[in-house]
Parts: sequence; structure tokens; C-alpha cells
Amino acid sequence: MRVLFLGTSSGAGKTTVSAMYCRYLARKGVRVAPFKASNLSLNSYATSDGGEIGIGQAFQAMASGAVPATDMNPILLKPSGNGRIQVVLNGMPYADITDDTPLDIGIATAEACKAYDRLRERFDAVVCEGSGSPAEINLRGRDIANVGMMRERNIPSVLVGDIERGGVFAALYGTWKLIPEGQRGLLKGFIINRFRGDPTMLGSGIASIEEITGMKCLGILPYADLRFPEEDSLSNSGGRMSGKDASSAYLENLDSLIAEAERCGFDFEALKRIAEG
Amino acid sequence: MDCIRKKVKEEVERGRTGSDHGCPYHPSHFIGQDCTFCFCPFYPCEDARFGKFIESRRGRDVWDCSDCLFIHRSEVAGFVLDEIRRTGFEECGDERMDEIFSDAKEKFWRRGRALMVLGATSDAGKSVTVAALCRVLHRRGFVTAPFKSQNMSLNSKVTRTGSEIAMIQALQAQAAGLKNTDYHMNPILMKPKGDMVSQVVVEGKPFADYDVSSYYSEFVPGPGREAVKRNIDFLLDRYDVVVMEGAGSPAEINIYDSDIANMQAAVIADAYCLLVVNAEWGGSFAYALGTVELIPENDRKRIKGIIINNVRGDTGKMRSGADELERMLGIPVIGIVPHADVKLPSEDSESFRNSRTVGTGSMRIAVVKFPRISNFTDLDPLFLEDTAVVFADRPEEFDGADAIVLPGTKNTISDLEWMKENGIAAKILSMKGKVPIIGLCGGYQMMGSLLSDPKGIEDGRPSETQGLGFFDNVTSWERYEKCVRQERGKIIATGGEVTGYEIHMGGTEVRERPLFSIEGFSGNADEGSVREDEMLFGTYLHGVFDTQDFRRYFLSFVKGGHNAPESVDYNEYVDWNLDKLADVFEEALDMDKVMEIIGAVR
Ligand code: SF4
Repeated sequence: MRVLFLGTSSGAGKTTVSAMYCRYLARKGVRVAPFKASNLSLNSYATSDGGEIGIGQAFQAMASGAVPATDMNPILLKPSGNGRIQVVLNGMPYADITDDTPLDIGIATAEACKAYDRLRERFDAVVCEGSGSPAEINLRGRDIANVGMMRERNIPSVLVGDIERGGVFAALYGTWKLIPEGQRGLLKGFIINRFRGDPTMLGSGIASIEEITGMKCLGILPYADLRFPEEDSLSNSGGRMSGKDASSAYLENLDSLIAEAERCGFDFEALKRIAEG
Repeated sequence: MDCIRKKVKEEVERGRTGSDHGCPYHPSHFIGQDCTFCFCPFYPCEDARFGKFIESRRGRDVWDCSDCLFIHRSEVAGFVLDEIRRTGFEECGDERMDEIFSDAKEKFWRRGRALMVLGATSDAGKSVTVAALCRVLHRRGFVTAPFKSQNMSLNSKVTRTGSEIAMIQALQAQAAGLKNTDYHMNPILMKPKGDMVSQVVVEGKPFADYDVSSYYSEFVPGPGREAVKRNIDFLLDRYDVVVMEGAGSPAEINIYDSDIANMQAAVIADAYCLLVVNAEWGGSFAYALGTVELIPENDRKRIKGIIINNVRGDTGKMRSGADELERMLGIPVIGIVPHADVKLPSEDSESFRNSRTVGTGSMRIAVVKFPRISNFTDLDPLFLEDTAVVFADRPEEFDGADAIVLPGTKNTISDLEWMKENGIAAKILSMKGKVPIIGLCGGYQMMGSLLSDPKGIEDGRPSETQGLGFFDNVTSWERYEKCVRQERGKIIATGGEVTGYEIHMGGTEVRERPLFSIEGFSGNADEGSVREDEMLFGTYLHGVFDTQDFRRYFLSFVKGGHNAPESVDYNEYVDWNLDKLADVFEEALDMDKVMEIIGAVR
């Protein structure tokens, strides 16, 4: 099993949705691992073998009941100011890159694929997370975590759209349309995240998007006022989980998110079929 | 009438005055207006495009010119003066005057053009784009007005006619150099009351409460549409350009037909549209493409340009994507706008939600972040001072505060209960006398001893609630009645100036020394409450911190005193920022293209 969650923007909720699905599978006894090919983050986590990965994947590993490993985030990009970015490859500092001396996408993609393949061997399921939006057409050819992985490993994918800011139908449709034709067919489903109000109001919109794109709506996740640790520098919700130790509070949050999703009719079965397909 | 004739005669003899800055009422309509004819030679013209009949205090119909800009356009004033002089004033009987009037209209009047700014999301940057365009057009000599059909807003302002409009449209009107801001620029205002119900304000007056479904099924097709049409027409009759702002995304295909804030308004105004996307969260090309393509073809044709907004770092890196987008859509990307570092009052809920502390000054001002907080832009002027303003929703966040503000709220009673339950009320009570505490509007009501709502007007169910007891005041909600007023007065203790406006339900029986003396038609009236020795202040006035006098007065109670930095007038500061914003947009946008889209080449 493998699936790739893509966001229509950063902060759309793909990190949390990935973690939720990791937790969901782990509770069913599936041996699952998270994966994010490349991650731009200041916050990193030290794995037990002395490597460095993005904090998001460390939390997702926790949700999976797996030990955080460098394969879960083979490329970590750490901004070090003045336009310089430190590249951490397979857990180890690799190079400093700038606009003029960019990362060798070929090498990076190959390494990401190897890490992904190793996870596939060790685990029954790999839940992948994309990075930013997969539709940044100005960066075409430089994308590893989204279209890059789709192309290299044919991973069936699910779009996560944030409805809170509005324009979610446009975002889903537009993102689908901007995925290169060769990969577009891998987009199997979408999720509408952070909804408040009466979901029946969305019915006609969802039906049109399903019809135009052929993607299936897996569910509408309600606006959950849960606080998750977020690696994304954009969302400074702070990851406040008062009083308890972070990991148990985190898992509790994920459990209540799963319960909410089930209550709202989230189609975990369809997601499973996508991941197995 | 004879009196007006006499005045006009004097005006004709005096000749062109241009923009008369000596006049105490100047400018009454817009910055740069021509004041040659303060009294209009055509009065009463009875042309509904310019003025209207209203009932006078004595119950007679009088012709009201307060919204007329025609005679204040310099080309009109010049032409009319020349014509009257050519004929000779005494010879200008009514008939000749009528001829001059129709000649002037034929020569100079034409219906304005509308340009609409749509956003791919809320917070796309529509309102700043409108503000920037208003300022750019104003600087280029176009008489420009902002417009937004409907606004969901927690921050409203009161206009000179006592109407309530969204703060953001008032700001855009300021950008356009207007002094006659009124409800036409935001005819429908929705104010969330909680439980998915909103109070709908139409043309400045409370109209009714609706939930989401009745709003779309009852209000929108009838009174909503009518109000949009009426007010767009009003503005197009008077202004050169009306810059309209959409609401949310125009591509919400599930409610497309009942959305009067976006494409339907564009159709009513026959406006061409610009689509703004925010680059900050990524996915901007997808949002732009999806928005355009999901809009039905007939309406889609109105979209004439795309603006990629809020790009951090090098804007050039977006160009290749923008080119591809242009090719795919056949619509030009007319600007890639860098993140503009300006300080303007913001309706932007996202930024408000995320920034818990604003500023890094030495005085720590803790503002209670009520769940239903409203008019939080009241606090903006405090950012001008040496402050760090913290929006606090936990008791421990009040530790070390140098002053406390209880801001306005949409529901005083619920938010008071909220504050009692989570311990903030107890915390604030324990700080009484140690730091200055001020309550604004709803926060002021809470500071009293009792809040009585026997009919459940404020909270939906009858209640009697103990206040914080800082003041002996009693607030009661007796009738569904709203007070909306603009005011100016003095701080009683210092004689300093204060301005502001009241918008509230419920009235307060004040049993304290008043804080302000407000100028009124019939003498001065007391407002607010103060106990200086206990450092307690309360007022209904929104915008009370706008004047430096009051900011200084309040902050002087902060321990260690307040060492005043350079004096800043808040209005000038906002204007300066509007200019800066306009500079950023003017530089980044293809303005020739924008002018071509507006079709406003004069
Ligand atoms: S509405 Fe305008 S043109 Fe007509 S009388 Fe009044 S000021 Fe003159």
C-alpha cells in the first residue's frame, strides 16, 4: 500500500491528514511508515542513528508506531539565512545551496527514490506527503516530493484542499489541471479540509469537481480546533498541547480526528482501495 | 432662493477659487475638489443623478445636494463660470441657467466605469488591491469610489450620516481621497452574531437577522440584489471610476447563482475584472487557473487581468509560471506584486489569528481576545506608540501586562461568561489599581456592576449577569435598538481632544464620573466613566485611540510614566502608508493596461 497526499497550498492540512492516515492504519495493525521526499523546514528531529529529519515526519512516525528513520525524509532543506539553504541528505549534512548553485535534482530524486524503495520493503504501507503545492509551474522540473515522486514511482495520489480561505473548488480543479498529463491520472481522490457549517451545501460543487476531474471526494473534514505540531514555517499555531507529554497528547488528537472523520462519513475504504490500487 | 442667488452672484464676481483650503468645511466631498461654487447656480436642479429630495426638519421636501460632485469638478466649475460671465449674471434667468446646465452635462457628465477586483480566496489581497488602485487613480486625478456589495465584517465604522459600513471600505474611501464616505460603498454588511446567524445591515441600517440558508434563499434574490443595483448606479452616476471588491472566491460553484458579491455584481455594473491571487501560501497558479475556468464562460469573459500578489523575495521567479498561465488562459498577468510592508488597519482574519503579539515596544498592553471580539482595529493606533500589544485568551498571558484593554464584542454577555469561566476575569480583577484598565463598548459594559437582558435581546435568552464591578453602572437591553453615532469631544481631565463613534445595542445607566464631554447640537453631553485613582476607564467610543491626546492620557497611567516619542497623527500615518502601498502597486502593475481595462482614458 502507498499513497501520496498533496496539498493545494502549503498549510492545506496534508501533514495532519497524512498523520491521521498513518495512525488509522497503525491501529488496524498495518505496519506503516511516513515519507516525505523533501522537506523545507527549520525544525528537525534527531533520529536514533544520529541522522536528521523534518519534525513533521518524526511526529508521523510516532503516529505510525514506527521508529523515526532518515529514510522517512531523505532530503531536508534548512534555510540558513542570506538565501543559503543547507541540504541534509539521508540524515547527514550534504551541501549548501543558493540560487546560483542549486541542488542537483537528478541526484536528489534518485536518493529519494532509493529511500522510498527501502521503506516499501520494510513496511506494508508507506504514506507519503507532498511539499507545498504540486502545481508551481514556475518550478517545473525542480519538484521532487510531488510530481517527481509521482513520475518516478507511480504513487496514487490524493489532493487536500483547505476550504477555510475559500476557493477550494478552484484550487482542486486548478491543481489537477496543472499536473502534467502523464501524472494526472494518478490523482484519484480529494479531501476538503477545515470545513465549518452544513456539508450538504457543498454537494453540487463536489459533484462537478468529481465529474470534471474524475477524482473521487473521500470526505469533508470538519474544522478541528486541535493543535498539532507543524513543521511548516507558515503555520505558527505553536503546537501547544497543554500539560500532557507531547506524544500522548498528539496521538489523542489524532484519535479524535479519526473519530470526527468517521462521524462525518470520511471514506476510509475508498482511500484504502486507492492505496492498494 | 433669493439668498442662494445672492451667494451665487458673489461667487461669480469672486471668480475661480480652485480648492479652497481656507474653508473650515474643506474638503466636504473629495480632496482636490473645486470650490468655486459652494452654492450651486443650478439649485435645485432636481436631477436624480446628482441629488435627491429629502424631508426637512419642518416636514417639507428640500433638494439635498450633499452627494453631488458635479459642480465640484474643476472643468465643470470653470465652464459654468465662463458661461455665466459671458451671458452676464443678471441676464442669466432660469432659462439660460437651464441651458448652461444641460450644456455642462452634455460636455462633462458621463456614467462612470467600474473595475472589479476578484480574489481567488478570502485574504487574497483584494481589499489592499482596491485601496491601492483607489489611491493610484485618485493621484491621477480620477474621482474614484470603492464599492463592495456585501461584507462579512467585525470591524465597522460610522459615516457622517450615521450609517454603518465596513472599516475596510472606509479605508479604501480614504485612499480615494473621499470625504463623503457613505453606505453606498458597502450597502450590505453582515455581522456574525454566533450560531451561524448574522445581523444584516442594509444601506447603513439594521435590516434583519438571517442564517446562511435564508440569507441565500430570501435576502439575496430580493432586497439584496436591489440594494446592490441601486448603489452601484448611485456611484456610477457620480464618480469617474468605481473600484469594486469581490467577496471570498467568485468560483464557489455550489452557490454561484446566489452570489451577489462577485460576478453578478460585475454584470450589474458592467465591470471588467482583475483576479488577485496570494502567492504566500503557494498554489497560486492553480488557484488562478481554477478560478477562471470554473466561472461560466459568459462571465469569464469579464476577467481581463490577473495579479499575483504578495510575492516574497524575487518577483522574477514567478515570471515563467505567469507566462504559461497567460498562454493557457489567454488572460494577461498584469502584475506580480511584491509583499508590501505597510501598516494598515486590517480585516485580514488570518494575520490577526496568527499574530498574538504586535510590536516590540516597552509597554505591554494585554487585550482580551474574546471569542466574539469585534472592532479590533480600534487598537491599531496603539501600535504607533512604544507598545507590544498582546491578544490574550489565557489568564497567564496577563502576567506582566502594563495595561489591559477589554475590547468590543458581538455578544457582551456570552463573552463575559467566557472570561469568568476561564479565569481571565479573576485575573483582571486582581490587577485592579495596579495597571490601567480600559473597556471599549462591550468591554465597557462588562466593567459595570450588572448587565440585564430581560428579553434576551443580546444573548437570545433572558439573563441577568453580574459585571466585573469596576463601575457601578448598569447596562440593560430593553428594546431591539441600536445606537449609531459619530462624535467629537474633550477628555474632561485634560481638555485633550477625542473623536470616535458609537455602535451598540443596549444602554448604560452611568453612575460614575464621566470620561468625556461630547459636543452635541444641544450642548455638551457626558460620555464614558472614569476612576482615575483606580486607573479604570470605560467608553462607548470606537476609535477612541485615534487621537494622540487620548492615547497619551491613557498610557500616562502606565507605571514608569510614558515617555512620548515623536507625535504622530494616526490619520496622516494611515495616509502615508496608503501612498506607500499605492507606490508598490503602481510600480508592479502594468498601469497602462489597467487604464485600458477601465476604459477611463480621459
Ligand atoms: S445636485 Fe448638484 S448640480 Fe444639482 S443643484 Fe445640487 S449641487 Fe447643483
